[in-house]
Formats: sequence, C-alpha cells, structure tokens
Amino acid sequence: MTVQEQDILRIAPQPMSAGERFYVREVVVGFGTTLRHLVTSFGQGKVFPGKNTSRTLQYPEERRENIPVEQGGLNASNFRGIHRLNRDEEGRVKCVACMMCPTICPANCIHIVAEESPWDDREKYPKKFEIDELRCIFCGMCEEACPVDAIELTTEYDIVGQSRQEMIFDKEKLLHVYDVTINKKPM
Amino acid sequence: MADLLGFVSAQFLVSVLVYAVIVHVLLAGAGYFTYLERKISAYIQDRVGPNRTGFDLGLPFLGFLKGLWGLGQPLADGIKFMLKEDYTPGKVDKVLFTLAPGIVVIPALIGFAVIPWGGVWDCPSFTIPLLNLHVAGGPVQIAALPVNVGVIYMVAVTSLGVYGITLGGWASNNKYSFLGGLRATAQMLAYELPLGISLLVVLLMVGSLLPMDIIRYQEANGWLLLSQPIAAIIFFIAMLAEANRVPFDNAEAESELVGGYHTEYNSMRFALFFLAEYSHLAVSSAFFVLLFMGGFQLLPFINDPLTATGATGLLAVLAKLGVYFGKVLFMVLVIMLVRWTVPRLRYDQVMSTAWQGLIPLSLVVLIATSVAVFFGLPQGFSHVLLLFGGNLVLFVVLWYVVGRLPAYNPNRKIPLLGSRFYPLPGERVDHAPSDPMAREDRPYEGALPTA
Repeated sequence: MTVQEQDILRIAPQPMSAGERFYVREVVVGFGTTLRHLVTSFGQGKVFPGKNTSRTLQYPEERRENIPVEQGGLNASNFRGIHRLNRDEEGRVKCVACMMCPTICPANCIHIVAEESPWDDREKYPKKFEIDELRCIFCGMCEEACPVDAIELTTEYDIVGQSRQEMIFDKEKLLHVYDVTINKKPM
Repeated sequence: MADLLGFVSAQFLVSVLVYAVIVHVLLAGAGYFTYLERKISAYIQDRVGPNRTGFDLGLPFLGFLKGLWGLGQPLADGIKFMLKEDYTPGKVDKVLFTLAPGIVVIPALIGFAVIPWGGVWDCPSFTIPLLNLHVAGGPVQIAALPVNVGVIYMVAVTSLGVYGITLGGWASNNKYSFLGGLRATAQMLAYELPLGISLLVVLLMVGSLLPMDIIRYQEANGWLLLSQPIAAIIFFIAMLAEANRVPFDNAEAESELVGGYHTEYNSMRFALFFLAEYSHLAVSSAFFVLLFMGGFQLLPFINDPLTATGATGLLAVLAKLGVYFGKVLFMVLVIMLVRWTVPRLRYDQVMSTAWQGLIPLSLVVLIATSVAVFFGLPQGFSHVLLLFGGNLVLFVVLWYVVGRLPAYNPNRKIPLLGSRFYPLPGERVDHAPSDPMAREDRPYEGALPTA
C-alpha cells in the first residue's frame, strides 16, 4: 500500500533557543543527575541510607527464597523452576504416559516412551521420560495439562551441568528431584 | 672516576629518582583508574561493580585477603592479559601492527616529565660512598625534566599519541579500525587548535614557558581557573578530545566501529592501548592542574607554609606531592563523571563543536586577554575579580550574539534526485525517478514526473 501524502505527519523539532544552543543548563542538570545516582548508590545504602538508594542482591550468599515476597522475594506458590516427576503413595511413578504434556509442550522438550504398565491400576506407564531442560522455556503448560498431577515445576532454578547431555533429565533424575524437593514444595 | 661521572649532579639524581617513581605510580595508577572507572560507572548506574576479586589468589591461607571491595581486579586483569594468546591476524601489516601499541604507550609515559610535582627541594651536599663522588647540593626541581620549554614539550608529546592510534588502525587491515584511526586523526587536528589557543591565553598572562613560573604566577594572582574560566573550560574540552575520552571517543565508538582502532588487538597489546589511554588521562589532568589549578598550591590566595613555592624542605616537597596527586585524582574523577553524563557526539557534531564553537570562542578570549595584558593588569585579588568579571561579560555577550546567528542545521532535507525528500513540497519535478516503484511512491499533483 502506498503511503498517501495526507497520511504523513510531518514533525519538525522545536528550534532551540539561544540559551539551549550553549547546552550549559543541560550539562549542569545532567551532572546533578549523575552525582545523585553516584551518592545514593554508593555503599548500597549503608553509607547514605535513604528511600531511593539502590540495593543489589549478592546472589550466592543472599537468595530470593530468604526474602519476603513483598520485598521482591521468590513466591514459591507460583514460581516455575525445573520439573519433577511425582511419586504415588507406593513410591511408583505417578505418570500414566497419556502424552498430554509432550503434546502441549511449545518447546518440544518432553520425550516419553510408553509401555504397558506392570501394575493393575493403569494401562500404561512411561518406560522413558526425558525433559531437555535446555530447550524448556518453563511455561508450566505440562503441569497444567497433566491429568494425574504427575509432572510439576519446583522452585529450584540454579541447576548446572557440564554438558548438554547432562541437562537432559531422565526419569530417574526427575524422580530424584521429587525426593529432594518434596519437603520444600509439598504436592 | 670522578671525571667520568661528571654529569652526575643533584638535579640529575633527583630527576632519575622522580622519573622512576612516577612511571611506576602512573602504571599502577592506570590499572587502578580502570578499577575506579568501573566502580564509579557502577554506582552511577545503580550497580555494585567489581567487588569479589581480592588478593587471596585462591589460596586458603590467604583467605583474609578475599573480597576487599574488588581491589584485586586490576591485578587479575593484568595477569589475564599476560597469559592470553598473543594472536596476530593473518593479513595485517606485521611491523606496524606490532609497533603501534609501543608508539601509543611511549608518549603517555614521557609526557609527565616536565610536571613539577613537588616544586623545589633544597638538596644538601652529600657523597656517594662506594664511588667516592661528591655531589654538590642546592635547589633541585622535583621534576623528571626541568627544561625551559616545559609547556611546549608537553603539548608536543601529548599530541604524538595519535600516531600510534592511526598506525594501529591502518595496520589492522580492517575497515572499522581504519575509520577509527582516521577519526582520531581528524579529531586531533581539530582540537589541537583550541587547546593551543587556550594555552596561549595562559602563556600571554604568565609570560613564561617554565612550569614553575606558571605556578608562581598563580600563587601571586590566584588560580587561572578563576581568572580565565572560559579558556579553562575550552582547554578541558579539548583535553578530553585529545585523550580520546567520552564524549569524544569517536575513534573507538563501539556502536559504530566495533572497537575502533583496537578491534584487531588482543591480550597485552590491547592492554597497552588501554594503559596509554588511562595514563594519557592522568597526564592531561596533571597538565590542566598545572595550567589552571595552581599546581601544588592547596588553596588559592592562601599561602600556607607547606605548599608555597618558597618552601623547600623535605616535608614541603611531600606535602606538595600529596596536593598535586590529590588534584590530579580529582580531575580524573571529574572526567569520569563527564563520561557518564554527556553522550557521545556524532562525528559532524565533533567537528562543528571544534571549528564553529571552540576555535572562534578561544580566539575571542585570546584577543580580549591580549588587549587586557597590553593595558596592564592589577596584581593580586583585584586581578581575579577583573578577569572573572570580564569573562562573565564576554560569556553573556557571546550568549546573546550566538543565539542570534543563523542556526547550524545538519539534518536539513536535501532534495537530491532519488532521496526521500525529493521533491520537496512545492517543487517542480523535471526528471522522472528511474525506479518505477519510486515513481509510484510520489504521486505529487501538478508536479508529476515527465515520463
């Protein structure tokens, strides 16, 4: 479509006054702003306490989990960290391999190989269950889709691995995540 | 033996000592200026800055040296630069590429030689024990090079640094590096003039090229920052441009030229460019302090016994050194504040600031000062009052006059054939754009292209 002349809004910058063309006031005001920030964030509020001082979280020593939610802490009830596979009362994997989560996953990071269940209470169970945590976008759709509450997102976020292969979490690892996080975030 | 060492005088020994000390202070200072800059920029941007690197070197028994507000950062950076692979790209001019960092560093490390850091010291006579050499005492200058043409030496040496930048940019065989070197050269040519002219203003008033005479004059008549504020500000701006500092760092403008002249450099050679930049910063600050801030005098008009030029004791020398270093540090801090306050000028703005702004302004100040000097200036406090008032009047007059000059408009719409401003409203079109899509874009009534 061609842009018509009546659609064009021609804007010319305001002509600068005599004083503005020296940039004296602008530079002085700019110095004030710079100095204000320098003073208020010097020593992170310990030297000059005040309302507008900035505060940086010293991450490995200070963690968001230890701060109240109102002050910018981590809200455990809706935080989406790495996944876990829940166990039922008998300690078996709860998943029934219904393939809802790999279907809805927008990042295609869940891979399930289903097999006939050895137990009587369900038809299928996942023989393999892999989540590529590097592909995952932590949207939480799998958690929403799961009909038996088998997959859940925990509050863990500081995970590391030395290779890409290591960051593909298999069934054992996901069940292990359940074991270590069940006290932190109950089902 | 004594004949062979006949050139050894008290001044010679003191000069060697001062040079050896100041070079190392400057080298360490350049490292810590990077730390200071990172810390200050962090605070200005509401961050923390480097705060983890201490001196513990990862050893458990040095654990008490951990942290220390990140003071170990320059050391860690230096070790990293040393241990990195010194890589030379394939198609560079090897000789110039290797030479350029050295050419940049040398002027930065000899520029401060004429700065009289500690004034004059009354050296006692002494004998060097093993050589059995008697050295006659007397007043010696605490400067590495107490020469008569001190100021000219300073100007000459500080402007040599751009050769290394240009050579490095050219030898890199890289368009961006080359453009960076080109910009540095053009900028240097443009800003040498206001620098030199505002320096002339000082020399006109002082009447001597000796650094010590400039300090003596300021001791008697107040700092030149007070009596010549316009010249001081012009000198400061030109100094920033000479040192390639923000807002005049077009030679290494990251957003336009990748890294500018040091794009192809890495490891220690890159560090040398960095080192030169920061020592240039310190040297220019020292030069500014010498010319406009009274050198080692603590406060204007207050001749305290320690920092007066007449004081020649060892304690006075140390006090003067402290005051001088303090002032240089203050100037460096101001330059760092400027970096985070004033945005980088566009290239045409850099040029128009120099040729249309600073050079005419400094010429006006020069003429006014020479007239004032011709008719004679009063001594002491009234000197400062008169000249400060004169500067103020000059500033107001210029403000009034410049505001009524036709405005410089670099973004005017140029109706070139094929540009998006062709034709301007009301203009007749005689030539049809060759591109049919462009013809479709401009359905001007009454001025349709003659197909």
